Amino acid sequence: MRRLLVLALALLPDIALSQEARYDRLRIMAPASPGGGWDQTARALAEVLREESLARVVEVENVSGAAGTIGLARFASAYRGEGDALLVTGLVMVSAIVMNESPVSLAEVTPIARLTGEYEVLVVPAASPFRSLADLTAALRRDPGAVSFAGGSAGGTDQLLLGLLAREVGVDPARTNYIAFSGGGDSLAALLGNQVAAGISGLFEYAPHIESGSLRALAISSPDPVPGVDILTFRQQGLDLSLSNWRGIVAPPGIRGSARESLVNAIERLVRTRAWQELLERNGWVDLYLPGDGFGQFLRSEQRRVASVVRDLGAGPSKSAAGSGEVAEMVFPGIVGVGLLVSGSLLLARRGSEARAPANRRALGLVCLGAVADVVLLEPAGFIVASSILFCCAARGFGSRRWARDAILGIAFSTGAYLLFTRALTLSLPAGRLFP
Amino acid sequence: MSTWESLVMGFSVAAAPTNLLWAFAGVTLGTAVGVLPGIGPALTVALLLPVTLTLAPTSAFIMFAGIYYGAMYGGSTTSILLNTPGESASIATALEGNLMARRGRGAAALATSALGSFVAGTLATIALTFSAPAMVRVALHFGPAEYFALVVLAFTSVSAVLGGSLLKGLFSLFIGLGLGLVGIDPLTGKARFALGVSQLLDGIDVVILVMGLFAVGETLYLAWCWTPGEEDVVSPAAGKGWMGLTQEDWSRSWPAWLRGTAIGFPLGVLPAGGAEIPTFLSYMIEKRLARKPEEFGQGAIEGVAGPEAANNAAAAGVLVPLLTLGLPTSATAAVLLAAFQQYGLRPGPLLFDSQPELVWSLIASLYLGNVMLLVLNLPLVGLWVRVLLMPKPLLYGGILVLASLGAYSLNGSIVDVMLLYVIGALGAVLRRFDFPVAPAVLGLILGPLAEQQARRALAISQGDWTVFITRPISAAVLAAALLALLLPRWFRRRA
Repeated sequence: MRRLLVLALALLPDIALSQEARYDRLRIMAPASPGGGWDQTARALAEVLREESLARVVEVENVSGAAGTIGLARFASAYRGEGDALLVTGLVMVSAIVMNESPVSLAEVTPIARLTGEYEVLVVPAASPFRSLADLTAALRRDPGAVSFAGGSAGGTDQLLLGLLAREVGVDPARTNYIAFSGGGDSLAALLGNQVAAGISGLFEYAPHIESGSLRALAISSPDPVPGVDILTFRQQGLDLSLSNWRGIVAPPGIRGSARESLVNAIERLVRTRAWQELLERNGWVDLYLPGDGFGQFLRSEQRRVASVVRDLGAGPSKSAAGSGEVAEMVFPGIVGVGLLVSGSLLLARRGSEARAPANRRALGLVCLGAVADVVLLEPAGFIVASSILFCCAARGFGSRRWARDAILGIAFSTGAYLLFTRALTLSLPAGRLFP
Repeated sequence: MSTWESLVMGFSVAAAPTNLLWAFAGVTLGTAVGVLPGIGPALTVALLLPVTLTLAPTSAFIMFAGIYYGAMYGGSTTSILLNTPGESASIATALEGNLMARRGRGAAALATSALGSFVAGTLATIALTFSAPAMVRVALHFGPAEYFALVVLAFTSVSAVLGGSLLKGLFSLFIGLGLGLVGIDPLTGKARFALGVSQLLDGIDVVILVMGLFAVGETLYLAWCWTPGEEDVVSPAAGKGWMGLTQEDWSRSWPAWLRGTAIGFPLGVLPAGGAEIPTFLSYMIEKRLARKPEEFGQGAIEGVAGPEAANNAAAAGVLVPLLTLGLPTSATAAVLLAAFQQYGLRPGPLLFDSQPELVWSLIASLYLGNVMLLVLNLPLVGLWVRVLLMPKPLLYGGILVLASLGAYSLNGSIVDVMLLYVIGALGAVLRRFDFPVAPAVLGLILGPLAEQQARRALAISQGDWTVFITRPISAAVLAAALLALLLPRWFRRRA
């Protein structure tokens, strides 16, 4: 009886939640800077969650860097066990974890749902001799190095598709000639200018140029034909190959089963709303909704598949295979190193002739003290405290003796900057304990 | 519809009172974020995106255009007054601009940069209006080999910032090149010199390097050689003539504005252009052509007028591939592209036909925005120069707080703040021993570009090094680089 009661008590809040599925506060971390795909997904989620009253307050936090792995690491440690936090993730992060040897992997976090995706297209410039996928794969088989492919960053979705394609037609993925461009714009320009033989990117990015006829689409990476899109799939052309640049959300590690359940339920209700469906349409995102355990299984199979393709491409951290005609990544560092050594040693050889201004160690020390205090105190004590101390130290270093004036001005300046950045620009600065 | 008719139609939409209001809001906001270090137009537009979704697309884009142009105007202010360029495009402006400010000519430097921005912005917008499709066809002939040649040409501008000693300048350049190698190699995805720190995988942000070497480095250096009893104020705000501009300033400024525009716009149109290459090229050309070259290094007005014009013209150039092809070639352009997508619009070859009203009112708003920015910024000049009247202790305290704020808000990471101070210490040591710091910045910006483009070109040619001289544009640009190095010597010998 007693055990039953405990069980019932433990279940009670969950029942209430699953009926209402309404959060007072939800936090969504976008592991990228504002403007990118993950950020757009996070902000779209926040918008619909609020509009549909699934959550009262939704905060979006951007932690960018290293293709999302910095955000993942912070999410897994800072939000451990907290049932009201979500992280946007996707195929690119799965690959970046392998490429960057990230210490934290997606196996540690709690899968909630796969949400959206975009399919990839393989295109050639209008003037290309390749009329069909068969033409291109034949050329690839003949001489893999001669067919240059333009796409996004190394190890990203575009290169993964090339790796899968190479495997499927019996070419060693490490011998393919993939040219990584930084932004979508650069690779598109290379294609339109006939600089490369072929290109791989998301359908949405190339669609206007396919429509206008300046690019010819040879294949789309969806498993089945996409309604309204007049491009043959790889499968329709006899290659067993499909890939989507999917995006989903995960919760922190170590959350209670009930907390996971209610997040899954809230998202279930979200994807059924009209607002969400309209949003997908507007952004050209494909609905790839797959909740809870199904997403967990999918995530595991994607991790295995991506790891093996990255290994075959020779793009992983341990391998160092340079494809045909590639200049190895240590040539330029070598040139720079020699330059530094030569100019440095020539300088050392003729040193000791300069007359210098007298050194003021005290002033320098005070400014440095302020800098050290800033670094040490910024996160624990908050921006206002750290900056005020920095301000006072620097002022003292430059000879000010009016402590009170410096302190008041420092606090006023820091507080003003803090309020401007956090309230008006909604950027997050460390609050410390002064501003809860 | 002819271009003229379309433009008139665009003006009729953009000049509607509500749209004028949005344009004004945009330019004001843009100027403000341009002044603040660390947050640029890309971040501002991205943060505004969800808020503006309720607006009509035309109004939203008119505001975004205002932010974009406004940030270019605002960016020069901190460079000139505080030697704290908030982004890479205004580094060249800081070189001479800050020296002018210290000689009490801050108002003239700010005025020439605002006027230069207006002239360049307007001329480049005219070029955008009438020649966009033709420009883009030429730009597409540029592949990795041509970009590599262009970067080599830009490298020759290092010769203009070497300072007194060739060897010291080269050492500083190599430090910058070395720092540029840190992070994931974009062509293979492998980490280099990241020392196992995941925050270093994306490389050292040029904003951190610039703020570290300039703002923090300068502050530490000045503290190092500060003597008690030294003058308490950086510079008195003196000024003769209108806005501190003398007759001589005018006659030296306007050719520089035109040359800056002529360099900035075409290079901005190139899909891998950016604003750094044209601003430094403009700086070098102004130094070479100056009637008083000895003034460079002490605050020459051409060195402010030229790069500032090049910066704004390049900003307009970036809109050409964005509007005609849907090619985002800068961070801000990428965010603008995302904004188009949020409205279900797809910029591309068909945008001019499918959304003529939006495109033409956007272009018309660029003209109006430029006028607004001039009207907004010129009166501010008098206000800004008063910053220099602040006592040194408060001024340098404020600069450090702004720099650390800018560094932290880039990625929300304490690692960036540490890096800022480490690079700042490096900057102070370099200054102390008379090393120029500008070559290091050029190295960090141009080094990775040179490496990537060269390796891309070689991968496409399958290892054939002759691509750089067999492709005509590449060969021509490389020849120009050679001339840029040799001609000055030849002239000197003849003189």
